[in-house]
Amino acid sequence: MKKQFVAVAASMFALTAIVTGCGTGAASNNAATNGSNATNSAGTSNSAGTTNGKTIKIGLVTDIGGLNDNGFNHLAYVGMTNAQHQLNGVSTSVVQSQSESDYVPNLSHFAQNGYNLVIAVGYLMEDAVKQVAKEYPKTDFLIIDDNITGIPNVASAIFQSEQAGYLAGVVAGLVQKNHQLKGLNTKNVVGVIGGQDIPPVDTYIAGFQQGFKKEDPSGKVLLQYTNSFSDEALGSQYAQNEISQGADIIFPVAGGCGIGAINAAKSAKVYAIGVDTNQAYLAPGTVITSATKGVDTAVFDTIKAVQNGTFKGGVSTFNLANNGVGIAPLMQGVPQSVQTTVNQIKQQIISGQIKVSTTVQK
Amino acid sequence: MRSLRSIILPMGASILAILIGGILVAALGYNPVTVYGSLISGAFGTGINIGNTITASLPLIIVGLGIAISFQSGLFNIGADGQYWIGATAAVWFGYHFNHLPGWFHMILCIVVGMIAGALWAGVIPGFAKAFVGSHEVITTMMMSYIGILLARYLIEGGPMQQKGFNPQSPEVAQNTQFPYFTQGLMQSQLSLIAVAIALVAVIVVWFLLYKTTLGFQLRTVGLNQRAARYAGINVKLFTVLALCLSGMFAGLAGAVQMLGVDHRLLDGFSSNYGYTAIVVSLLARNNPIGVIIAGLFFGALTTGGQNMQMVSNVPAALTDVLTGLIIFFVACERIIPQVIGWYRRRRTLKSTSAA
Repeated sequence: MKKQFVAVAASMFALTAIVTGCGTGAASNNAATNGSNATNSAGTSNSAGTTNGKTIKIGLVTDIGGLNDNGFNHLAYVGMTNAQHQLNGVSTSVVQSQSESDYVPNLSHFAQNGYNLVIAVGYLMEDAVKQVAKEYPKTDFLIIDDNITGIPNVASAIFQSEQAGYLAGVVAGLVQKNHQLKGLNTKNVVGVIGGQDIPPVDTYIAGFQQGFKKEDPSGKVLLQYTNSFSDEALGSQYAQNEISQGADIIFPVAGGCGIGAINAAKSAKVYAIGVDTNQAYLAPGTVITSATKGVDTAVFDTIKAVQNGTFKGGVSTFNLANNGVGIAPLMQGVPQSVQTTVNQIKQQIISGQIKVSTTVQK
Repeated sequence: MRSLRSIILPMGASILAILIGGILVAALGYNPVTVYGSLISGAFGTGINIGNTITASLPLIIVGLGIAISFQSGLFNIGADGQYWIGATAAVWFGYHFNHLPGWFHMILCIVVGMIAGALWAGVIPGFAKAFVGSHEVITTMMMSYIGILLARYLIEGGPMQQKGFNPQSPEVAQNTQFPYFTQGLMQSQLSLIAVAIALVAVIVVWFLLYKTTLGFQLRTVGLNQRAARYAGINVKLFTVLALCLSGMFAGLAGAVQMLGVDHRLLDGFSSNYGYTAIVVSLLARNNPIGVIIAGLFFGALTTGGQNMQMVSNVPAALTDVLTGLIIFFVACERIIPQVIGWYRRRRTLKSTSAA
């Protein structure tokens, strides 16, 4: 009902928009041209000749988080759009699933319409991908954040986010230990906010804890779960709570909910570390760095593989070694020595000298 | 005449909504013909799509029946979504336990348990609270709905029903309780004839119950006028509890059918909103069980067609919601239109008398 009311409100708003648009004439025209531009560009990429001389069709099915989740759905879309722009002969289509029961119909719809690659974003689609992939052996599938093995036309991308989390933890630890940023207190406390107690979140957190402890063994890591990936107000509340306990670097791993936490850190004039993608744009001067997860890279690479005919089923692991995970450039004001240490540790993780565990210390 | 109007008005409302939706789509720079074309072909274009549409409409039809019962009894069961998920949770729990039972019996057990769970969720607290202390069922069913959904979430997010070592989800229900799919030419459509049969039987049962039994007559009497019903010797309290129980029972049935037929396990998300869409289904059908089939199919078609609309014409997903919103708006308006006409007539007669 809530959704329907919103929809009613939205439609009323849109109606008013039309009425005013007709009055000025320009607004609706603009919208129309923009829309047709978009379809045109899609059209041209369709007709563009390729090296192989054929166009491949890529379908993306989001989970119920939708495209604007500031997380993996968004990143997968970015990867696909990059592929569309940079590779010739890639045409793309997206569908946002509205409920759990939509996964199978959406996946099979693309497969049935001759799409070459269908990308399923998120572990929630595991059953659906298994079921549909068996029915359509000629279509390739990519699932993000899940490992499905034994089906030749399914590739799974999993990310060793604990490595990215570790580096972020190292940054936090160094900065805290030596009080290297303006306004840090002497309590050496960092606050982590998790969206949910699930593997894709916990790997980041586990890495962060270990990285932080390595550099600042006497420091303290607070950890709380919001059980939401969307509620910004809740994220803000959790962050304020941790800040009041002395935390002055907040590391939210909670999708849209984490954005609230970053904003809270900004208002409280403390610092934050972003997640999944470089989130420095959310609060410049507050976000020290971000632990990133290359869902876009994974999607791009898979599309490229499909185009070149080198698609391979099975699990691909993305980690520091193949730039599948990493951390974003450090904020201005962070001493160069931190960057140097991070680079050293990065090499040690790649060479296997440092092993990062995926278990969260509670 | 009256029955004709009750068919024409909701249809007119839907058509008007579609027309305005078309203008909206055109104003946003899409070709309305392509957009609606993809909507219709997505819903009915191929055998698979028809299968998907029917599958999507089944939970709406079954929950809609429950809502129709409560509306006909003068009660607003707003919390069908929670009753749906409680029914689903109960059915899944029984579905992956007791695996030694014979398949057909296990299946029936899951369904019955789902129905009972839904009925109790609606009947016990909201029903008795309404009947004995008069607390409004809109509030109580709604609140119980949140509790139900959050309880189901807890159970799979670290609670006892979470499958060990996995992301939040329950174990799968036993293979022999899953409804077999009707695969002839429909491949992936997840359509099972058992679910269709259950929905059809449910429609007939509700129709028979409401219009052909004393019980149904008493329920409707309570719905039309409580005081008159009490005067006629009907136990209004009993029927209030009973109506909410029946309403929740069908929501729970829908949950069980959906779990055994489509989802096979509880998955994190809980965003299907069947309980809310079914309110609209029931309103559009004017609380008539037979009409619920048509309205349910209509909304099922909007769901599957809407997904196809996104894929083919790249229209944002939210636009389907806008379209659904418009339909609801106009269906609700349908009550206003006769009033406007009445007001206009009165004004005219007033004018003509004053002129004379």
